Amino acid sequence: MRAKKYFSEHRRLWLALCSFFFLFTAWELMLTYIFPVNPFFFTKPSLIAAAFKEQFQGTKLWHDLAVSSQAFLWGFSFAVIVGIPVGLVMGWRKRVEYSLDPFLTALYASPLVALAPLFIIVFGVGVLGKAALVFLLAVFPFIFNAFAGVKSTDSLLINVIRSYGGSEKDLYLKVILPSTMPYIIAGARLAIGRGLVGVIVGEFYAASEGIGFAITQAGDTYRLPDMFVGIIILSLIAVGLTELMRKLELMVAPWRTTDEVR
Amino acid sequence: MAPFIQAQKLTLSFRPKNREPVTALSDFYLEVGKGEFVSIVGPSGCGKSTFLNIVLGLIKPDSGEIHLNGARITGPGQERAMVFQEFGLLPWRTVTANVELGLELKGIPPAQRAERATELIQLVGLKDFASHYPHELSGGMKQRVGLARALATEPEVLLMDEPFAALDAQTRDLMQMELLQIWEHTKKTVLFVTHSIEEAAYLSDRVVVMTARPGRTKDILNIDLPRPRDYEMRLTPEFNEIKLRIWDVLKEELTSRG
Repeated sequence: MRAKKYFSEHRRLWLALCSFFFLFTAWELMLTYIFPVNPFFFTKPSLIAAAFKEQFQGTKLWHDLAVSSQAFLWGFSFAVIVGIPVGLVMGWRKRVEYSLDPFLTALYASPLVALAPLFIIVFGVGVLGKAALVFLLAVFPFIFNAFAGVKSTDSLLINVIRSYGGSEKDLYLKVILPSTMPYIIAGARLAIGRGLVGVIVGEFYAASEGIGFAITQAGDTYRLPDMFVGIIILSLIAVGLTELMRKLELMVAPWRTTDEVR
Repeated sequence: MAPFIQAQKLTLSFRPKNREPVTALSDFYLEVGKGEFVSIVGPSGCGKSTFLNIVLGLIKPDSGEIHLNGARITGPGQERAMVFQEFGLLPWRTVTANVELGLELKGIPPAQRAERATELIQLVGLKDFASHYPHELSGGMKQRVGLARALATEPEVLLMDEPFAALDAQTRDLMQMELLQIWEHTKKTVLFVTHSIEEAAYLSDRVVVMTARPGRTKDILNIDLPRPRDYEMRLTPEFNEIKLRIWDVLKEELTSRG
């Protein structure tokens, strides 16, 4: 009885673990017994696990991670610093909205990774080029979500601040920014995904180090298990950061706990 | 002697985009004495709330003048504070921080703010909820916070825009009683907008009845019931007679709109 209760309380976790377990087992069995494909063309979990072990003990993986993280953090930080104020002002000032909106919407909708070659030419193959690409991809979710947050700010609260003689600065700091925070964090979740694409694409094009480079290099030399190590690490990072944002969202906006945002 | 609040020939139109302008107030007048409790009733959309916002200083009339204590109102000010129908609490602030808001915006130092907030939270009976967030409170509690926030800045005029309309009937009765008690010992001037004839009659010294849009002053009735008033008073024939008098004036406006 108690075990049953335990499973029903944590069934979300257990079912998730089970589905992973079955997926990997099925994958392993398929490639071992049903389609024993040449390991040059496809790989299976046991080989990936071995590659993981080997790479964790080496130094190259950690170096690549550090290089990619550096580019990501620079680009992402600038996206935060630029995106949030631009979005806030755009939401509050009609003139700014009307002048920037068409231009930004066009950029947001376009597949910006197409600009990667240009960025590499202009900023070089180092951290700067990749960071610039991350920035370009990650800045839009911040701008548009901050913008949407301002637009949805309760006008009653604006009037409350005004009625007590609050200034424009008070409006921003005491109402607009805090009520926009949950939107900004939701934007950050999107920006993380886009930013990672920026790093990886940058490294695909031109680089001699970094996770994206490690993936292409492993692919080019038919080391599929090593390639999967890079891919899996990337998705773990993406999931980890996204979950962190979710926790943060609950922290800054405890009054919105009722809506499940994904 | 000039009245404490004096509104003369206030006229205001709204011009919604792509639509005909709407005249909300037309030649509205009202005089209120210091310490008086005046309610304003009228059909929906007659400009009651608009008038409060003019007194608050958030809206400027197209023409006409509004004076407070002899000085023309041109914007928000120390001496006026509003209690809003939908509370207007900041959801990311605790009860204490919400009550402190007005003081904070006026640049009062933190220690003084905290002291004043504690005092008012006690006054409205929320001592045990000082560190709660608005979403953890009931409607009645939220409006107590709204009232405490308005009183915290020590205004001379308390503007109340259907403050109890969002509450259930029992909470409403309770809040009315508490408001009377607070009013009796703070002696604020109160302008109270409501849809409820009963509420207006129970709380007020005078009741202003407005016409349907565009809002004009139709009639001003004196409520000469003794104070302090209590709940039992609402069951007396005198009270019912007053309600009937207000209703008679208001009725024509409601029916004239079809």
